[in-house]
Amino acid sequence: MSNIRTTGKKSSNTLVRDLVNVGIFAALYIVLAFLSSSIGYIPALIIFSTGSIALVTSIPLFLFFSKVERTILSCLIFCGFFGTAMFVMGQGVLMLSISLLVGLLAGVVLKVLGKGFAGLFSANIVLSLMSSSMMLPLWTSTEEYLEYTRSMCDAGYVAKLAELAQSPWPLVAIYAFGILGAVVGGFIARRVMKKHFERIGLAK
Amino acid sequence: MFAVPAILLLFERKWRFVLAFFSVYLVSVFGFEYLKTIEAGLAFSLVVSTMMIVSHMMPITIVLYYVMMSTKVNEFLAAMARMHVPNKVTIPLAVMARFFPTVFDEAHAIGNAMRMRGIRLFSLRTLANPFSILEYRLVPLLVSVTKISDELSIAAVTRGLSPETKRTCVANVGFRVQDLIVFVYCLLVVVCYVFPGLTGNLLAR
Repeated sequence: MSNIRTTGKKSSNTLVRDLVNVGIFAALYIVLAFLSSSIGYIPALIIFSTGSIALVTSIPLFLFFSKVERTILSCLIFCGFFGTAMFVMGQGVLMLSISLLVGLLAGVVLKVLGKGFAGLFSANIVLSLMSSSMMLPLWTSTEEYLEYTRSMCDAGYVAKLAELAQSPWPLVAIYAFGILGAVVGGFIARRVMKKHFERIGLAK
Repeated sequence: MFAVPAILLLFERKWRFVLAFFSVYLVSVFGFEYLKTIEAGLAFSLVVSTMMIVSHMMPITIVLYYVMMSTKVNEFLAAMARMHVPNKVTIPLAVMARFFPTVFDEAHAIGNAMRMRGIRLFSLRTLANPFSILEYRLVPLLVSVTKISDELSIAAVTRGLSPETKRTCVANVGFRVQDLIVFVYCLLVVVCYVFPGLTGNLLAR
């Protein structure tokens, strides 16, 4: 559809295509993020859960980034959906604003660097910051968060969380593992894209 | 908070559904209140946290179920257009709402196909190379998802769905007295219960 276009103006058909893609990949991303973050229920693995999210979701994100044409708009709506879903599930306004910011940033990165490996790779890393921010309330509003978890989890888990909230280093580790997961996932995604999607013509 | 979707579902004549879910909800709430004081091991905490998820998430899930069940995509788009939400937001939302069940269906089918070939989460082939499970399960899912997205966007373009044009709708969508009652009730709940806990997280009980 895209190579028939003759005028310089982007047609609204590609816009609809982008919007449908955003909807589908946002649904996929939310499902995958929840599945892969569920290893955080084991107290020792809380810190690694962000890494696993970034690792698992990087392949669909690569595909998504390479398919959309209006990058900034698409990334903004994509992250806006994730942020709204998080907001509805009780993450507070901070998460929503972070995800909108991250979406804008990822779109700009994708626009500036193009859709080569460099662009996809860095946009993926930027987007991993969003899923890593899910744990942020533990540090920004420690007392409320612990009170909330105490009402729904057992004492051992809360004690582990309280121990984590004592120092800022686990927060750094959470973001570091998120970025690490995105880096490793990016290299895996490049191999997978080459091996599967480019061969059958789903991605350029 | 459970009352709103229960009453609304009763209007839709879903007696059995309401009864079944109400009992599950009560069991999980009381069971959780009783069990959370006991401290025993990892497996037990998993059971308790499952009960927690059920008791906390269930009202929201029921609301979601009610919205999904009673709203047609057509009417949803019309209502959003009346509320002056831009089409650029509502089209992906409509696609997303339709797509969540499809993701699970596809994943289930792929899981069956992979099980037939002897690929499980903990089989010899996947334990030798843990990343290969990503490839075996995620790549087929992504391929089918992209196919579906292409088909959907082609169908949408064929029917003249575009962000610029204004849609017409046969159904008469509007804001009536019934909506006002539910809206005021929900607003009261939000003001009384949610705002005190809004600093870090929403306590939706």
